[in-house]
Amino acid sequence: MKHTALLNKVGLWSATAAASAALVIGIAPITAKALNIPTAVTEEGKNTYKKYCSPCHGEEGKGDGPLARSMLPKPRDFTRGAYKFRTTPSGSLPTDEDMYRTISYGVPNSTMIPWDILTEEQRTSVIPVLKSFSEAFEVRKPEAPVDVGLEIRPTEKTVADGKKIYEEKLECWKCHGVEGRGDGPSAAEQEDDFGFPIKPFDFTTGKFKGGNSSRDVYLRFTTGLNGAPMPSFAKELTDEQRWCLTHYVMSLIKPEETCK
Amino acid sequence: MKQLLFLCVLFGFLSWNVISSEDTLAEKNYSEVEVKDGGIVVGNVKYMSDLTTLSLNLYADWELPETAKTATEKLIVSTINNGLKYAIVSITDITHGKKKAIPTIHPIIDQQRNTFIPHVTAILAGTTIDILNGDGELHTVHTRTIKNQPFNLGTTYKQRISKIFEYPETIKLTCDLHKKSYAWIVVLDNPYFDITDKNGYFEICDIPPGTYKFQVWHEELGKLEKEVKINPKEISNIEFIYSQY
Repeated sequence: MKHTALLNKVGLWSATAAASAALVIGIAPITAKALNIPTAVTEEGKNTYKKYCSPCHGEEGKGDGPLARSMLPKPRDFTRGAYKFRTTPSGSLPTDEDMYRTISYGVPNSTMIPWDILTEEQRTSVIPVLKSFSEAFEVRKPEAPVDVGLEIRPTEKTVADGKKIYEEKLECWKCHGVEGRGDGPSAAEQEDDFGFPIKPFDFTTGKFKGGNSSRDVYLRFTTGLNGAPMPSFAKELTDEQRWCLTHYVMSLIKPEETCK
Repeated sequence: MKQLLFLCVLFGFLSWNVISSEDTLAEKNYSEVEVKDGGIVVGNVKYMSDLTTLSLNLYADWELPETAKTATEKLIVSTINNGLKYAIVSITDITHGKKKAIPTIHPIIDQQRNTFIPHVTAILAGTTIDILNGDGELHTVHTRTIKNQPFNLGTTYKQRISKIFEYPETIKLTCDLHKKSYAWIVVLDNPYFDITDKNGYFEICDIPPGTYKFQVWHEELGKLEKEVKINPKEISNIEFIYSQY
């Protein structure tokens, strides 16, 4: 009898511990644990930033480094806290993992190279430095990443449905062009939040800036690109419609263009 | 039983921690008091200019594309008294005063014929704004804020988006598909402000007696400041004049 009571007690205490652990994990960012991203600015982070990032992004993160003048698209100005490639909803700050992903994989069609030549420690140490440039990280917290769920199977029907959304419902062609070459009637007048001209994406090249998988493309429709004119269509389209649009946009890739 | 009690206390403590950490949004440099013998300020904002140059239409005989014909609301000056519309008058250095009344009915900004209506909205921090699309075509609503959560969303006909603005900031709201249309949302941290009407008039009431800095903001003409002494239960008149020269 005593034995059972003891077991019950142990069970209850472990349940308590598990519940508190779950709560603590719920509050703390999970990504920080998986990647071991430092929470405060370290000496290594400062040095890495100064050596590898500041030539383009500037010493104070304003996107005005000595090499920035000759670049288009311009290096990101970190002071606004507007990061394009995220898993968080429109307008939200990115998670640490999102920033790590962009640093590691780079941004195709731009001068941001994949920084996988650096060690994981060096890449993670830069993240708190980037955050320290913007007041936004002091005031706001990144929202929870959006739920991607299961992808629907690409079929002729989903591509046709996506085409309808592209051409009629959202009129994506106004910026991205009918053939998806980024040459729509409104393309010339687009500019980003910092006042620099920005070209709508040319889908035929297939080099999607935020990643080439269908999940990545789906995420761009759901989260939008902060700092750029591309809005989020999370409220506008259902989950299924966004997958259809993803399939259509990916069907616009032309193999001969991807080799260029 | 004891353990259950402990669990409840633990949960209570943790959830209280989470809630109290969100409370940091509250404004700290303004305290609410009962204002019994407050003064009133009424006044006028004017733009003194050669009005003939303003009404000159450079493109009178040109055939312009439809997008260029959208009415501009940048500078609206009354022809009767040179009163300036859409200027925001506020008190910048007030530390205590009337209660911050956040409207329960949300102010509306509507997109009609590619134009945001109204062009300028002044709100108290913590107010929610409803942004509507009254056109039969796709629009986007795009803000570039740092403290408040920025957003960039596509909207279709009759769609309503509610957004809360927690921090004082001057925000430009644009539609990336119709570059000519934009609106301003000015978020202020105290309830002492007003936006001028079509003849440039404004009124701010229940101001505790004292000397305060009054500021007027206009998107095109910038800021002006003036110190005004408020006497109990008296009406003070002030005039702000922007000059072209």
